[in-house]
Amino acid sequence: MFYIKIADLKIRIRNKFEYAYRLCKDYVIEEPSGVDLDVSVSDEEIQKEMNDAEIKVSPAYAEGICIYRNICKELPLRFDAYLLHSALIEYEGRGYAFAAKSGTGKSTHISLWKKVFGEKVRIINGDKPIIRCINGEFVAYGTPWCGKEGFSVNDSVPLRALCFIERDKENSISRMPAEDAVMRLFNQILIPNDIETVNKLFPLLDKTLATVPCYLLRCNMEDEAAIVSYNGMK
Amino acid sequence: MKIKNGFVVREIAGQSIVIALGEATKEFNGMIKLNETGRLIWDMLSEGKSSDEIVKRITDEYEIDADTAGKDVEVFINTLKGANILE
Repeated sequence: MFYIKIADLKIRIRNKFEYAYRLCKDYVIEEPSGVDLDVSVSDEEIQKEMNDAEIKVSPAYAEGICIYRNICKELPLRFDAYLLHSALIEYEGRGYAFAAKSGTGKSTHISLWKKVFGEKVRIINGDKPIIRCINGEFVAYGTPWCGKEGFSVNDSVPLRALCFIERDKENSISRMPAEDAVMRLFNQILIPNDIETVNKLFPLLDKTLATVPCYLLRCNMEDEAAIVSYNGMK
Repeated sequence: MKIKNGFVVREIAGQSIVIALGEATKEFNGMIKLNETGRLIWDMLSEGKSSDEIVKRITDEYEIDADTAGKDVEVFINTLKGANILE
């Protein structure tokens, strides 16, 4: 058992495998006086995760995935927060979340930002940041779960733009009306299957789209893609 | 003909989104975005209205003839049946 702090939430993790602790080590805190969430994973959940995985995974690895899923299930209901499948970077104090279908090149695109704008670009989370509404503002948080490249920083940033990426030959970016972004946003979240969570999460997504500007970036993998992306959203 | 239990429709950014809840997720996984007419049909199906009643309402509200409206409603209903949403 150990404790972590992510998205400003203190979480107790009752793990079965040492792997979970190593995965979370940058986020581990001393035992706090109280916790916001208490998370454990049953043997059945681990077995189901192993059965459902596309590749063969160990029970320890499956537990790691299940821990995050069980954390994320609680986020909308109790903490005005949700998991957004995206690559989150911070530059000049602003958070940019890039979302796309798997394989489109999110990681490539954020790597281009680093290449073009240098070390001042920080990759907060390469794959699964948490978005949380605090006093009406949306804040994006790094978490230990961050995709295969392992881009993860234990920090947070105000979310200033949501950028949906599509691959194209030329680079272009345009502001996307909230109504056009709904389905794209839906493709990047965990869709709840209980009414209580729906009743919390849907208004939260509505508020996200009303508060955070959305963009459609069509881009290639040249340096210019990062420049077009930045100029379009700054 | 009625929409099965466990489906809810909610608005996000003015768009009507349908998702399945609880047991219904076993048969339907994902979501559907409804346009204005789709939402009207959905709501009337939820109230247990027949396709004739739905077609009449659509021809009353929109500038569309009964034949075209009838075909559109049939297509929509068949889509819902195909997705295991109607019983």
